[in-house]
Amino acid sequence: MSAAPKLPPFSAAHPAAARTITVAVAGNPNSGKSTLINAIAGSRLHVGNWPGVTVEKKEAAFEHEGRRIRLVDLPGTYSLSPYSQEEIVARDYLAHERPDVIVNVVDSTNLERNLYLTVQLLELGIPVVMALNVYDEAQAKGHRIDVRGIEARLGVPVVPTSATRKEGLAELLGTVVATADRRQVRTPAPLSYGPDLDAATGGVARALEERHPELTAHFPARWLALKLIEGDARVLEETALDRGALVARPLEHLVAAHGDDVEAIVAEARYGLAAGLTREVLEKPRLQKTELTERIDRVVLNRFLGIPIFLAAMWIVFKLTFDLSAPFGDWIDAMTSGPVKRWAAALLGMIGAPGWTVSLVNDGIIAGVGFVLVFVPVIFAMMFFITFLEGSGYMARAAFVMDKAMHAMGLHGKSFIPMVLGFGCNVPGVYATRTLESGRDRILTALLIPLMSCGARLPVYVLFVGVFFPNRPGTVIWSLYVIGIALAITMGVVFKKTLFRGEAPAFIMELPPYRMPSLRSLCLHTWEKGKHFLTKAGTYILAVSVIVWFMLNLPWGVQDKKDSYLGKAGQVMAPALAPLGFGTWEAASSLITGVIAKEIVVGTMSEIYAPKPAHEEQAPTFAEDLREIGTSFAGAAREALSNVVSTAGLSSISIDKADEAPSPLKDAVRGAFTPLTALGFMVFVLLYMPCVVVAIAMRQEFGGWKWFGVAFAYQTALAWGMALLIYQGGRLLGLGA
Amino acid sequence: MNLAKLAPGEKGRITAIGAIGPMRRRLMDMGLLPGEEVRVEKVAPLGDPIEVRIRSYHLSLRKKEAEGIAVEVTP
Repeated sequence: MSAAPKLPPFSAAHPAAARTITVAVAGNPNSGKSTLINAIAGSRLHVGNWPGVTVEKKEAAFEHEGRRIRLVDLPGTYSLSPYSQEEIVARDYLAHERPDVIVNVVDSTNLERNLYLTVQLLELGIPVVMALNVYDEAQAKGHRIDVRGIEARLGVPVVPTSATRKEGLAELLGTVVATADRRQVRTPAPLSYGPDLDAATGGVARALEERHPELTAHFPARWLALKLIEGDARVLEETALDRGALVARPLEHLVAAHGDDVEAIVAEARYGLAAGLTREVLEKPRLQKTELTERIDRVVLNRFLGIPIFLAAMWIVFKLTFDLSAPFGDWIDAMTSGPVKRWAAALLGMIGAPGWTVSLVNDGIIAGVGFVLVFVPVIFAMMFFITFLEGSGYMARAAFVMDKAMHAMGLHGKSFIPMVLGFGCNVPGVYATRTLESGRDRILTALLIPLMSCGARLPVYVLFVGVFFPNRPGTVIWSLYVIGIALAITMGVVFKKTLFRGEAPAFIMELPPYRMPSLRSLCLHTWEKGKHFLTKAGTYILAVSVIVWFMLNLPWGVQDKKDSYLGKAGQVMAPALAPLGFGTWEAASSLITGVIAKEIVVGTMSEIYAPKPAHEEQAPTFAEDLREIGTSFAGAAREALSNVVSTAGLSSISIDKADEAPSPLKDAVRGAFTPLTALGFMVFVLLYMPCVVVAIAMRQEFGGWKWFGVAFAYQTALAWGMALLIYQGGRLLGLGA
Repeated sequence: MNLAKLAPGEKGRITAIGAIGPMRRRLMDMGLLPGEEVRVEKVAPLGDPIEVRIRSYHLSLRKKEAEGIAVEVTP
């Protein structure tokens, strides 16, 4: 960063102060803010949510040159308007918490629009340090930015940075410390928005100081005055001020000169300043090459190629996410259900614990923990690729290409990717709804994701199709997927007209320049998300697993599963399923355990219909176990690699794994169901309530159980209705005997 | 004349933002203000939304939103 000028006026360090410096980091989306924060704070970042909303909050505390710094990352915003959740969070924090310094991350390649936010930050009267980020890219494009010119015009220190190359970071922090220590003297002077607006603002500010000193003690008078002039809904609501009485007179001259669209006048004044400054400090080469982004977009957004390219990209992401993670998931599953359980049993045997504790530990606790761990590879893989899509700029293109189709269902172009992921597993699909901006779109998308038939439902299909439709397994399974998609489209339209009535949020989205996200940033983000899932979801899943164990094994010493609490619950539920043709306690009990995961329906069925006689196995030794763990992990890694390399179909949804061998379970199922009721049962499993992991994901993303409740209710009603339609309709047609 | 009627490659100067409430504010925050020149770059493969260039960056919006932005065609 040799071209960066030194910063003489702001470099003197203040010796005494030992207090913590609170620094808020603000900037536009796509300004490289996250990468900058990751580069500065890295693993010291703590990720949570802003209170009351599901906007992500990142914080880090660390020392720089002996000073404590607390970094608070504000959501990326284009403005500080009172409309989006992100903007409200950012402005509330700045206005109420008043950090010592704001670091304003500015995209050097897109100065004008980024400076529009800068101008608004300066209105708050809090010292600002500007990080002129992606500076290397601007230089590579031949843009010459007069850094000192910006400092002089705005009265704030400016540090060129490149987060991906880790350039300018130490200088940025040094400038932040110096600015914090000189807080009293370096409050930026107010910028001029032109004589008429300045006069009006001054008039309102004076009126506020006279009549509402309690407010101007808390907020800067000029900021409050501007917000009143704009008619900012949130400020009016918060302060309960009478806008008319305060602004009418001061605005008389402004309105006479510029018209009465005051909101536009203020926005124009801010953009005017940003545009004027950009003209003064930015020099672009006269002959501009066609930018790389534009050349890529000519292909990627092409009329004919756009959709095929998008579908190919989706296929690759889906394949990588699930094929790469599946072998590791299977490995974890094999480990927890094999060696770990054997060791636990041996350990408990050694200390002389009773037999039921072995069962509780193995079938309740270890099975539950294993179940959580099995999800880890897929969550990590999905987060990695989604973060890559977003960071690279392709996500916005995907939304652009798909928006018209998704909008017909009341959704947003970006809803498509979470729904596609849902076919692999609904859980990463629900987490991926974070990429949507509006809360309405997020919730609506997440409500429809469970209708995407996930991999866990496949074992149920495979069992029933193998028994009842051995001649056309592909057609039947394929039609189940289609039923799910068709119902998602239908329910999307239904929700749009009922629960989510009213205008769909506007689609006003930046198409940012393509950029290669840094590997470090990708890994950090992936790790944060994976950790979040492990700690939060893990607890609940474990609890549910233990509860189901107790239901199966209580009252004490129960022999026949029919007499266990689960069996009894099944007996209570069975009559409700009778009109669907499978009103037996066995079917009902299996469906209850399906709350953990739908594939468990099969496991419970085999336990109920065909209990295994207890037989002694030759247990492998500890050393053999260890060797097995090692070799099978190597095998999983090999398999993951070959999955990615191989071009043969999607192994995660292939059905050729269906084993043809007869089994006691298959015989029992053949006796208990008919082809018609089997079809109804499969459709029921496809549609009924989301599994517990999806429930927890929904709770994490949308706060509280309300939206899971909605999903639970509509899906179970839909499942019941569809199964009823199949069974009763089929009987009318004379299909089922 | 409005922004939705411009073909790719055509430019116009914004004369008024017809939208109301939050959407109007959002459009203004993204830099769509009277007097600004805006150029239509592309139409999505399915015919909607459109991509425009304004203040040296790329923005996409649905035709329904673009209809509310009055423009006069510039050469």
